[in-house]
Amino acid sequence: MPCYYDLMLYSHCGTKIVKQASNTMWGFLMSKEFNSKLTDLKRYFFNESDVRKFIDFLMTKAEVIAPQTKGEQSFAYNVVKNSSDVALEYPRTMQPLKKYFLPPVETLLTFKMSSNEFSEEVIEAKKQIFFGIHSYEMKGIHLLDYCLGKGKPESNYLKRRANALIIGISYKPDKYHFATSLGIDIEETEGFALFFEKVTEGYLVFVVTDEGAELIKDFSGGKPIDEQVNIEELPQQAKIKYHYNRLPQVFEHVYNSRVWDHFADKCVGCGTCNLLCPTCYCFDVRDEVGLNADDGKRQRFWDGCMLNSFAEVAGGENFRNKLAARMRHRLYRKFSYITKSSGELHCVGCGRCTRYCPADISIVEIINSLIEDYSAQQKKQAV
Amino acid sequence: MLTNTTEMKDLYYPLMSDIIKVEQLTATEKRFEIALPDNQVLNHKPGQFVEVSLFGFGEAPISISSSPTKTPAFDLTVRRTGKLTDKMHELAVGSKLGIRGPFGNGFDVDFMKGKDMLFIAGGIGLAPLKSLIDYTIDKRKDFGRIIIVYGTKHPSEILFSNEIEKWKNLKDVEFHMTVDRPDDNWKGNIGVITTLIPPLEINVENTIASIVGPPIMYKFVLMSLNSKRIPDENIYMSLERRMKCGVGKCGHCQINHSYVCQDGPVYHYPKAKELEEAV
Repeated sequence: MPCYYDLMLYSHCGTKIVKQASNTMWGFLMSKEFNSKLTDLKRYFFNESDVRKFIDFLMTKAEVIAPQTKGEQSFAYNVVKNSSDVALEYPRTMQPLKKYFLPPVETLLTFKMSSNEFSEEVIEAKKQIFFGIHSYEMKGIHLLDYCLGKGKPESNYLKRRANALIIGISYKPDKYHFATSLGIDIEETEGFALFFEKVTEGYLVFVVTDEGAELIKDFSGGKPIDEQVNIEELPQQAKIKYHYNRLPQVFEHVYNSRVWDHFADKCVGCGTCNLLCPTCYCFDVRDEVGLNADDGKRQRFWDGCMLNSFAEVAGGENFRNKLAARMRHRLYRKFSYITKSSGELHCVGCGRCTRYCPADISIVEIINSLIEDYSAQQKKQAV
Repeated sequence: MLTNTTEMKDLYYPLMSDIIKVEQLTATEKRFEIALPDNQVLNHKPGQFVEVSLFGFGEAPISISSSPTKTPAFDLTVRRTGKLTDKMHELAVGSKLGIRGPFGNGFDVDFMKGKDMLFIAGGIGLAPLKSLIDYTIDKRKDFGRIIIVYGTKHPSEILFSNEIEKWKNLKDVEFHMTVDRPDDNWKGNIGVITTLIPPLEINVENTIASIVGPPIMYKFVLMSLNSKRIPDENIYMSLERRMKCGVGKCGHCQINHSYVCQDGPVYHYPKAKELEEAV
């Protein structure tokens, strides 16, 4: 068995607030481990009005991007114009945060066809503060950092990342979240400068990094506190049947499973799951020419491996022309292929692909069906 | 505001190069000889590819069909099959095109040293394989026998007729070819490429087989090499995929966990066997 499984066991446990019981139960009342990690962090108490004032304060420092409501059930990250617009409690945004680092359309070069002159687009080095980000989303960004930073690094992405300050917030899981099933706790603070934990009367604000400390130092609202505060226990609804560190092993045995055909029968191949996935980053590069038929741009567009033409070559040969093969490829990229080099699962359990699938396909159901298949195989072998 | 950023030269920055020679090989294929700016040398390995672009028409991966022993210019053999390649076919000597690369791994020529070389090329697969064929002929003393097996659908599709004549006349090169469908003038072998493999007399332990051809060809060629008892370890193959970025990011060329633009396009057969989507 490849050794990366061992790596996997620890990969999600880096600097997070470790919570051993996370696989059977979400939430906790300040367990010992939680205490030991969090008591190291300086903390403040903010009521909601302090939070809004703090956002106003952030807006004096840099452009602030935060989740805002977009109709009754829909949320989106947007530049904040008014702190009262910021959604403090929201299940998830439709689009993940990656759009700020890897834009849906990005100009790589501008050119003149007549003279073959070209120049590179300059990435503005502007500071951005992202407020109210959930832990699974932060994990998604970390995974993109790995994928786009390794080998030949994507300089545009990295420049934008270097200018981002990210502030986390806890969330109440709905029926689509399964991040804790993948070892990403709601209170995972890695990557955040500050972390806002919802408590009954307001928020506990934990200072995670020096940058966060520097930021909050100049803010006059909120009050520093020392005493322990009980945190509400929240149930997780969507669950993966196995511990997450067993998933790569499952994927070693289900390549030819019938599960792929079963779910592919329902799938319409629209690519929404690619589009909304915080860890999908595949792209296409195309030239767009202006109306003068001379000035043009070489642009990168998001692409998706669920789309039929994704693996097609010039002669017309399509190396992944079946939906089941494309669906399998997508899930293997999340649980097996990149995992072999990164030692991480590349799904963060945000639930977007399930929540927005027009065919009502649930990724948790797919994974659990694969687990059943694997478990049946194991039993058969044991007999 | 636009400026050239050179501090971190971007991954997508093409080198504007000159077409210094164009040769029509068949009705649909042309060979372009390309010179990089300032007499730069591409420094490629046989089997590698470059990303070729024309502003307004996009970019595509094209394999290098000349050997690194030929410098400073290099050859690209291009079939017209889409927006970019159609436009390329309209270009004359003196035109510019963008080059990024070389990309991919190329053939393991050090491992091949001292071995008998069996080349199996189907159709336009001869173009990438020619970089290695030329290399072995240019470094003739480093290799044992050179056996070239080439098959096309029709005599009108034969590439590199001049080189083929040369190969036929070289005493230390064995050249075999066949066509699927002959025309009236065809006097050679008729049949698919696998018909040429069983009669070959080779020392299987010391022979390295390098295969490039259309996807359908691999399965059958591998079967017939297998029945000749050539060990898997002695087989290399180059696989075609859509290498869009060339730098292991865009995802288009992925075969299971392997990015063809990084781990390929040349695969050692025992490795390719582990990739379910490979052939």
